[in-house]
Amino acid sequence: MHHAAEPRYSAAERRKQWQYLRELGASIAIYIALLVPSLMYGPALTDSLLRTAVLTCPMLGFFLMIWAIARQVQRMDEYQRRLTLESLSLAAAITAAITFTYGFLENAGYPRLSMFVVWGIMGSAWGVAGVLRCWAAKR
Amino acid sequence: MNNNIRALRAERGWSQAHLADQLAVSRQTVNAIETGRYDPSLPLAFAIARLFALRIEDIFSA
Repeated sequence: MHHAAEPRYSAAERRKQWQYLRELGASIAIYIALLVPSLMYGPALTDSLLRTAVLTCPMLGFFLMIWAIARQVQRMDEYQRRLTLESLSLAAAITAAITFTYGFLENAGYPRLSMFVVWGIMGSAWGVAGVLRCWAAKR
Repeated sequence: MNNNIRALRAERGWSQAHLADQLAVSRQTVNAIETGRYDPSLPLAFAIARLFALRIEDIFSA
């Protein structure tokens, strides 16, 4: 029987994963390459359009990341898309609950937090949702 | 919905990864269909039937 030696991924899946890693890796590299000079020179510039452009130029790498992710979603099959939708829906709901809760606390005087925190919460919630989904699938 | 994909695959000596490649889906998807955790879409069910040269109702049952 093939079951014992069953590979975790098919050949086509490995090719897709490798393609995604290449595209995502390249976009992250561009993001970092733009982020470093942006952080070094941007804050020192006087208020101008140039300053705004320098401070936001790393987002070009970010847009490439979005493009890489969109391409990967296109490469997913129907079941993988469903799993991703379930995990992300749950993660979005958890993130909304946490950020709304803290928003109410901020109104009552709790310290203001940076918007950078939101992605940390969303990423963590996505991880929790993934673990919960795996646990539910095994039941 | 039940199906006999695992038995059909075993008859042909195919691994899940091999079947996944032929259907252009992930091995995880083949595993989910075989274990009944996921019911495939109609296009995918047709693709499975075509691959095994059977009718859909010979593979899937309610």
